[in-house]
Amino acid sequence: MRAALLLSLVSTVAFAQSEVDLREKQMELLRAEVASEVQLQAAELIDELVYGWTKESPFDVDTGVVLAGVSVPVSLGTGLEAYLENHVAGLVVKNPKTHVQFVHCPACSAWVVHSGAKGTVVTRGYDDPEALAQAGVSSGAKHALFLDFEAEGASLVLRARITTLDQTLRIVSARTLTTATSTPAMLRDGERLTSVAEARKEYLEALGGRGLFLVPVRVGIRNYASGTQATTNATPFLWVSTGLEAAFTQARAWTASINAAFSWLPQSHVAVMAQGRLSRLLTGSATSLTWPDLYAFVGAGVLFGQGRGMLIFRTSQNPTIDEILNANTNNEPRSTLGILTIGAELRVKNRISLIAFVETLPALENEDNIGTYITIPIVGLRFQSFGVEVSFCF
Amino acid sequence: MSRAVLLCALSGCAIDTLAFKTKAERRNLDCQRLSDVEAAARYPGQVPPPPAKELAGGMGDVLACSTRYLQTGERPNRDEAILTTLSTQVTELADSAGAMAPQTTRWHVDAFYPSLPVAQKIAVAARTTLAQRGFIVSDRVPTLAAGDVAFLVTLPQSEVYRIACARSFVTEVLGPDEALLGLMIVDPKETQLHGGVCLRGEWRWLP
Repeated sequence: MRAALLLSLVSTVAFAQSEVDLREKQMELLRAEVASEVQLQAAELIDELVYGWTKESPFDVDTGVVLAGVSVPVSLGTGLEAYLENHVAGLVVKNPKTHVQFVHCPACSAWVVHSGAKGTVVTRGYDDPEALAQAGVSSGAKHALFLDFEAEGASLVLRARITTLDQTLRIVSARTLTTATSTPAMLRDGERLTSVAEARKEYLEALGGRGLFLVPVRVGIRNYASGTQATTNATPFLWVSTGLEAAFTQARAWTASINAAFSWLPQSHVAVMAQGRLSRLLTGSATSLTWPDLYAFVGAGVLFGQGRGMLIFRTSQNPTIDEILNANTNNEPRSTLGILTIGAELRVKNRISLIAFVETLPALENEDNIGTYITIPIVGLRFQSFGVEVSFCF
Repeated sequence: MSRAVLLCALSGCAIDTLAFKTKAERRNLDCQRLSDVEAAARYPGQVPPPPAKELAGGMGDVLACSTRYLQTGERPNRDEAILTTLSTQVTELADSAGAMAPQTTRWHVDAFYPSLPVAQKIAVAARTTLAQRGFIVSDRVPTLAAGDVAFLVTLPQSEVYRIACARSFVTEVLGPDEALLGLMIVDPKETQLHGGVCLRGEWRWLP
């Protein structure tokens, strides 16, 4: 009985312990995730701090400064501290106009025990510089820099202060910097620091450079499925088209385009087509400057063609051998067809894209001259054409 | 709100609509209402520029929400409440304190809060704010002798600060040209910071 109780107690304790471990691991994962989001904004604030120093340095001449402490938001780990220390040190080295020269002083952040007439005091080294000087471990630096980050709701706040390393510990420079709520980090270049306004201007120019309007020039090919009763198949149509594409916003999440296309094949056909497309961005809510964007689109158009190559599109009558072989061009067959299109477009930086699509020709819905690539079962919609295009946008 | 949702629906802007967020996710949002002119400037490419007639009148608005850095429950509730409003609370108290002493006064700041890391955040925020206002501020925290501290902890809290202030002046821990700004919570359950100034041995609570 006693053994059973003991076993039960041990298992309960073990279960509780494992639950605590699991919770701690989950918390650590969450902290790591948060830190990865915070680090960009924290680095942004340091960029702004150092940029401010390049414009208005806290010192008139090059001055040795101890990086005394970097504290991160309460509940975040020390990994972020190390990253930010490296970042600020790198920026200061790359920007000598700050007149700040970091000095290595391990004893400054070490605990110091100092006994005097007033008692025994235990402090960090930078809080008791006299003790460091007496111990002969002072770095010689006269100033210490403290960076304190705190997450205040959706804002990250940096409080930076430089204090004198003497008895007064006077604060000689202090700045508070806050991220604008949810505004993306500017990710400035460390060797060419610019102001937030300038970085923002560059960002807007990058966005604005794309413009709301584009002129796409497309080269493509349409192939038509083989018909079940036809004596011949439609030749693939080579198209060259151009037009105008408009975006509703700079995000280019929705775009609309109209274009005119031309196709010609000697001894076969001359055709023109007008088409409109409406596209929706699938990969995110704004186009990327660095990654390809995938759009889905629907379109509608009208095609007019003339020549023997258009025989296959004639309704209610299959082309005969005589018609196909007839070289008399005085009575060339003509066709006018409506087209509905669905497709996808993979576009890189709004410059080059690869397009694939299928088309249905409603006028030939019940004809067997042309076969079917895909049929949508419920509505019975047949897609008789498949095409690919390469598009260049200007 | 409806305008923001409408904008998103029409133009595919990057601001997620609240309709697709769970209650837990909504609790972690900080939202602010912006004019659509400001929203278009702050979120270029995401919020479309307003029509010209609204540029003149500024009628539309957009609700911009962003997720808090640290989610609800990750820090103790009282710490979270204090830290979220740290800038606002400390700025008000530091401004009040600055008006109570001459400009030549050297300020020391200390915070009294159950959690040491949070107390340090409060003190740093106050020091930085005072220094930015142009006051002379020291990083040094005045400390009484161990015997004084041992006696002070036996006193009711309403008396501690007054007597500690007087003792600091008598023992020359604080000089006549020095002041101490103390920031603290009085009730363990409250999330409102209080402040007091010790100047020439006299303790005065901040309004």
